[in-house]
Amino acid sequence: MQSLRRRRLDFAPWAFLALPLAMYLVWVIVPIFESFAFAFTKRDSIIYGAVWVGLDNFKRLLGDGQFWLAIKNNFAWLLFFVLIPVPLGLLVAMLFNSGYKGDKLFKTLFYLPMTLSFTIIGTIWMWIYNPDFGALNTFLRSLGLGDIAVQWLGDRRYMTGALIAVGIWRQVPYVMILYLAGLQGVPPELVEASLIDGANAWQRFRRVILPLLMPATVVAVTISVIDSLRAFDIVYVMTNTKARAAEVLASYMYSSSFAFSDYGYGSAIAVVQFLITLVFILVYVNDVLKKEDAR
Amino acid sequence: MKKILAIAIVVLAAATLFVSCAKKGSNELVIQSYMSDEAPKAAFQVLADQFTKENPKIKVTINTTAHEQYKSQLMNYLTAKEAPDVLTWFAGFRMQQYAMKGLLEPLDKAWDNTQFPAAFKTASSYNGKVYFMPQSWYWWSVYYNKDVFAKLKLATPKTWDDFLAVCAALRKAGIEPIAIGAKDTWTAGGWFDYMDVAVNGGPFHQDLTAGKVAYTDPKVVNTFNYIADLSKKGYFMKNAASYSWQEAATLMFDGKAGMYLMGQFIKDVAPANKKDSIDWFRFPLVGSNTAYGVDTPFDGFMVPAKAKNKENALKFIAFLARKDTQESFNKSLGRLSSNQNVPVPNADAQRGLDMVKGATTAMQFYDRDAPEEMASKGMDAIVEIINTPAKAADILAALDKERVRIYAAVQ
Amino acid sequence: MKKTESPGVKLAKKTLFYVVATLLVMTWLLPLVIGVFTSLKSMDELMADPVMWRPPKVLHWENFVDTWNKAGMGRYIINTFIVTVPSVVGALLVSSLAAFALAFYRFKGSRFILITFVAGMLIPFQMLMIPVFRMSNAIGIDDSWAGVMLFHMAFQLGFCTFFMRNFMKQIPISQIEAPRIDGAGEFTIYSKIILPLSLPSLAALGVLEFTWIWNDLLWSLVLLRTDALKTVTLGLANMQGEFISRYNLTAAGSIIAALAPLAVFLFFQRWFIEGLTMGADKG
Repeated sequence: MQSLRRRRLDFAPWAFLALPLAMYLVWVIVPIFESFAFAFTKRDSIIYGAVWVGLDNFKRLLGDGQFWLAIKNNFAWLLFFVLIPVPLGLLVAMLFNSGYKGDKLFKTLFYLPMTLSFTIIGTIWMWIYNPDFGALNTFLRSLGLGDIAVQWLGDRRYMTGALIAVGIWRQVPYVMILYLAGLQGVPPELVEASLIDGANAWQRFRRVILPLLMPATVVAVTISVIDSLRAFDIVYVMTNTKARAAEVLASYMYSSSFAFSDYGYGSAIAVVQFLITLVFILVYVNDVLKKEDAR
Repeated sequence: MKKILAIAIVVLAAATLFVSCAKKGSNELVIQSYMSDEAPKAAFQVLADQFTKENPKIKVTINTTAHEQYKSQLMNYLTAKEAPDVLTWFAGFRMQQYAMKGLLEPLDKAWDNTQFPAAFKTASSYNGKVYFMPQSWYWWSVYYNKDVFAKLKLATPKTWDDFLAVCAALRKAGIEPIAIGAKDTWTAGGWFDYMDVAVNGGPFHQDLTAGKVAYTDPKVVNTFNYIADLSKKGYFMKNAASYSWQEAATLMFDGKAGMYLMGQFIKDVAPANKKDSIDWFRFPLVGSNTAYGVDTPFDGFMVPAKAKNKENALKFIAFLARKDTQESFNKSLGRLSSNQNVPVPNADAQRGLDMVKGATTAMQFYDRDAPEEMASKGMDAIVEIINTPAKAADILAALDKERVRIYAAVQ
Repeated sequence: MKKTESPGVKLAKKTLFYVVATLLVMTWLLPLVIGVFTSLKSMDELMADPVMWRPPKVLHWENFVDTWNKAGMGRYIINTFIVTVPSVVGALLVSSLAAFALAFYRFKGSRFILITFVAGMLIPFQMLMIPVFRMSNAIGIDDSWAGVMLFHMAFQLGFCTFFMRNFMKQIPISQIEAPRIDGAGEFTIYSKIILPLSLPSLAALGVLEFTWIWNDLLWSLVLLRTDALKTVTLGLANMQGEFISRYNLTAAGSIIAALAPLAVFLFFQRWFIEGLTMGADKG
């Protein structure tokens, strides 16, 4: 009897995993490895029978200024995505979590940008950024700042910045939700206890709430890092991947593969991007699992 | 919980069933089209309807995808197992590459030598076989707003100096001299083709698009100096890089901009009441050159080698080659028919035809003559030069590095 | 024992909250407001007045009617529902199976499988486009709704499994030990006990997945080429090519396309934060 149950328990997880694993293998895992293999083939040769070129595509990458520009842009995305949405999202979450009547409405409204497709977000922001009739420059001019009313998306110097700003606009509500979720796990007694100690609001926040929110912060930072490394949709929609100055790894991979039919090269870019992202993924997963083991 | 599970399973099963039922029948013709603008889309639909009338047993489906996305999916259309039957495309380097790789069906059966000039056959063939059915062709030239020119008493310029004078006069009147919607970087490709041929002549330009000349060559630099000079003088519309080609065209239709170097298809997007105030002139001659070149892209159709209904596809291709169908399509759009038996649709097209006949160099277009990657980066560089003309030398140096890398990879 | 605040201070704090919160929300939603206003203006008004945040003088509802008819929005929206609903339901159900296995059993390889799911959810997804198209084409499900649905379900498994597993980890192990001793089968435990307990997180996850799948553009582009099957984001993209200079129509089309995910979010939002709480951050 005992051994039968044991056997049943040994077998059960695999029975549950069979369908999901099979689907995941077919649609995700095998294609990833195929894509890795493409990275070692020539141009569009995957379509006509692979011609192997070894590390040639990767060697080409090293000497490709466009690739380094994409890396640089990706790191700009990363830097701003960690520096701005995380603290700002926390601030907004703290504000909306204050328990006043109607705070739920504020939370809901603030989250709305997350429900929109990038096509729509891109379209609206293109109007806002329009140098002549766009809301941003109209506003700047009304403040007498006509001098800095530039071509936000047309001028290659400001393009990446303008795109990151849109990304941040969308990311702050996301981070806010993560923190709101985290704040639900902060026991009110702890906050009250610190009140008795006579701690002021800032000390209370720093010494009590912030440490308790550490898990939420880890999630928010990880998600922001990964989203910044995967940045694509905003670039794709707002530049149609035509403006080389704003290229990020994902969009350069897309144009190499689909506009220039150089699938081998595009896959090589994807591999590099995957490896960079993987570092952050592993750090995070490791952290999650370690905490669970400690529990 | 069970209920939810049950519902989910029923929904899934129903959906799958629905889909498998919706799969295509046998006697069909599937066309993938990038004609997503209203006017050409409607003109093409008329042809499809007529084909259905002549072949009532064939069910015709047209699937339209916006141009940029269409291009990104073309490889999938060509290599799919049950590929679409007919694809819209254009003559040039890439069509021949697909033919070379065996992705296209030869169309010789549908080709009739009495219908097309020999030059068209050459442009549509690879290795002695026809792979492309040209339907329409058009020209690029400098479009301008007649009302604006009349009001300012401006004559259409013939030479570069005239052109600069017109620009100056427009600028003085508070009108943007040259419209260009450079958010679509290909609009700059026209400037590159015309300026380089005007400055350096056709053969040199063909060597350049074939990758044989450096972008840092003094002659190329000279071409770009002309463009940079226009930009420094403020003759390109301001904030050009923030507008799509249609938005910039609207500025010209409304008389806020004077001129626009553009393909004949600009007429497709002109509002009905503005069509008559738009006219064009030939790109001005530079220096003592009297020879000139023109961009004359051919648009048409190809059939994937893996097309599911090849017989119907060839029937449709032969239908598209006919005099009456080409006339119907091109008359409404004011374009030239590839079929030489079709009379020129109007006086405007006659002028276009005369201009093309007088040219010593005919080009498809920068992004059709050069590899896509080169053209894409080249056009981006031109937009950058228009934005920041002072940096032209640096931009061209970077571009030439790309040229070396790209042509090395294409070989 | 609370430190007491005078009523004056309380009122001041409350007022401050409402003022700051209102200002913040208004600024943040300004782009959306601009979108709505643009959709209701005439082209003449848009061109004459660069102040985009000024409400329309006359409400031009006909913009919505125009887009609806000209761009064929009705069909696109029905198509998108047909693709999105089964994809979301399927992704949730299939991933809950995997999550259950990874949350409640100790077995060799469980950690590796978890990491595989997580890694797959974080890849640059563009790298899948060619292989997935070729595979779908090879087995004959390209250019069909089934192909798109199956892909969405499979691709979303990474995120859903990770999320659900973290949620299920919060459920005390006794919840499954007790019925096990009573002789309940493993699948019964999953379907009768754990799944109902996971409803809040399923709701939250469902909302997220619905918005993502509804708003997907590239996969529909790759996997669907027949117009009659295409989803609303593709319709929107075609429409933008056609009406690019008519900002009011583009805006109206965008709003029509955004309504469904908006409604789903608003309807489920009361479970949304709760469900996320336990799923997303305790891991």
